[in-house]
Amino acid sequence: MKEPEIPSVTVNISPVQSAGRSGELAPTGQAWIEKLAALTTGYTPQPEREQQETTYYDYPVLKAPTWRWQIIWYFFFGGLAAGSYLIASIASLWGAPEDRRVVRAGYYLSLLALLPCPPLLIMDLGRPERFLNMMRMFKVKSPMSMGTWCLITFSMFSGVTAGIQAARDGILGKWWGARWLAGLPQKLIAFPGIFVGMFLGGYTGVLLAATSVPLWSRSKLMGAVFISSAMSTSTALISLVLRIIGAPASVLHKLERLEWAVLLLEMTGLFTFLRQTGRAARPLVGDGPGEHGATFWRFVFGGLALPWLLQTLTLLGRHSDRPRRARGILISLLVLTGGYFLRRTIVESGRTSSRDAKTTLWNAKKE
Amino acid sequence: MAVERVHPLKEMLGVFNRELPPAARPATGFFTDTSLCIGCKACEVACRQWNQLSAPDPTWTGTSYDNTQLLGAETWRHVLFIEQIGRADGGGLQGDIQGRIAEAKSSGALPVTPPGTALPFFNTDRWLMMSDVCKHCHNAPCHEACPTGAIIRTEFDTVYVQQDICNGCGYCVVACPFGVISRDDQGDQMAHKCTLCYDRQKDGIEPACAKACPTDSIQFGEVEQLRAHARERLGLLHERGLSEARLYGEDESVLEGGLHSFFLLLDEPAAYNLPENPPRPSNNVVPASFWTVMAAMIFGLLSILFFKE
Repeated sequence: MKEPEIPSVTVNISPVQSAGRSGELAPTGQAWIEKLAALTTGYTPQPEREQQETTYYDYPVLKAPTWRWQIIWYFFFGGLAAGSYLIASIASLWGAPEDRRVVRAGYYLSLLALLPCPPLLIMDLGRPERFLNMMRMFKVKSPMSMGTWCLITFSMFSGVTAGIQAARDGILGKWWGARWLAGLPQKLIAFPGIFVGMFLGGYTGVLLAATSVPLWSRSKLMGAVFISSAMSTSTALISLVLRIIGAPASVLHKLERLEWAVLLLEMTGLFTFLRQTGRAARPLVGDGPGEHGATFWRFVFGGLALPWLLQTLTLLGRHSDRPRRARGILISLLVLTGGYFLRRTIVESGRTSSRDAKTTLWNAKKE
Repeated sequence: MAVERVHPLKEMLGVFNRELPPAARPATGFFTDTSLCIGCKACEVACRQWNQLSAPDPTWTGTSYDNTQLLGAETWRHVLFIEQIGRADGGGLQGDIQGRIAEAKSSGALPVTPPGTALPFFNTDRWLMMSDVCKHCHNAPCHEACPTGAIIRTEFDTVYVQQDICNGCGYCVVACPFGVISRDDQGDQMAHKCTLCYDRQKDGIEPACAKACPTDSIQFGEVEQLRAHARERLGLLHERGLSEARLYGEDESVLEGGLHSFFLLLDEPAAYNLPENPPRPSNNVVPASFWTVMAAMIFGLLSILFFKE
């Protein structure tokens, strides 16, 4: 249902003015999205009052992020690489003997997900041939600098651990190098690797939080949301692979329970994030021009709430193996798709947020 | 001219020599006094000419005489035109204007029906102009964000992008709370902004915009002297009844250290597209990391719990 439109009183000719909610008097979006947006952010748009707020012809205060599609895929794959490593390492250090399947799948998937990361990041630079300049600095204050070093360190951990795994699985043959690799203490390497993996899974959110874009920086929970999503997508990926290649029900049951708990925490984190961000979260949850609520709420229902409900049903009910397997695969696919769209809407809504002069100036007001 | 011969081995090892930075000089900056700006845009032109920035295709915004709109990779000075027509009495010179007009009319100092057009001081309409520029923040978010070290502080304590190092990662673009630094997406794909005419300063000449400004609205000098001058100027304007005048970035309140390029404004900062009190992005690193670690710990413990039995 569309709400009646109130004609705009300002004349917008300038191209920079068309972005964001600026110049719009009434929310033109679908009612259900607007309702959810108001409910979760605790902010109901007041177009008449917002129109009175002082701006300079609504020209953006900030410059829009220059990052393109590569960064979205990097956030997705980086999260998978980190999460898979964490789950595999924990299963290796604390798990039962049958959990070796999780370890094996997790380490291989971590390395596979990691492989596209450096090329994606380098492609997204303005001058890709200068990517080595990132290694001129070690800057604790800059999450991008720390992230670069973390990615390099994690690559070594992931590469060595997966290499040991491959050598022990006999994939690398029986020459002296493979024998040497197989003899390395995988668990000893995995323990510090857990912390590097945690850094990789979460720093991307911290990187977004340490900007001037209101949507990304107002709440300090962006990193927590990113690591949650890294965990949920990785659990989904590992259980998807294990369901396809086959694993004991007890192992799958552990992953099911983990997925259920992680999704619950991810929802909690995400809703806290929205509430804290308030008005600045509009580009993510609203349905006005340039706002991504339509995609975002489909992700929340289809990629978080629905798989969580299905997981609850699976854990409560006593089903035979076949529907359990199909349902498990469905849950995994939903969570993985959702994880991609979460990152995509957050990155793209950041662009809208940076163009919204009124919210930027509101965000910078004295307390 | 004789060319100095360098031994090839010495040349090869030269990359390991650490070049000593030039000795620190007193911090320099701009004081842009908008009460003197007449909107001539000489600064915009002088900046483009000196720094060899290409002129954009002329566009007609339809909002005001400001057709430049924003600072950017190829626009390092930008003159804003703020048209305040039919605004509410804001105090200052305009304070109680109606009362004073009525008084003048009753005393005969003013004809009851003004001949011709009403004089400008009889109404509250006004134009504000301001030449915007990089703020050269004391705690510059772009400088803090830069992962390559391309953005440095020069010996004049100005913020400068080294073009031979920048790899166009774009992190400074989202870090800047003033929307100043930009990546030249049509050109060389690197970050650009005002250099505070580093090249001219090296030769002891003032920046091109300050040199070109015909009303001294843009003043260049040592930051400490400029600050003292700005406070003096503010006092004078307040004395003359312009109570709306205020300084922006002169003290240490903006970004926890102030701006080396600061402004005297005649209205609230938002009217000039300036954030009143922008959060400092790097302050978010610690709290955001803390919550990330908290979340990671919970997930770690949960995983251990589920895998352990």
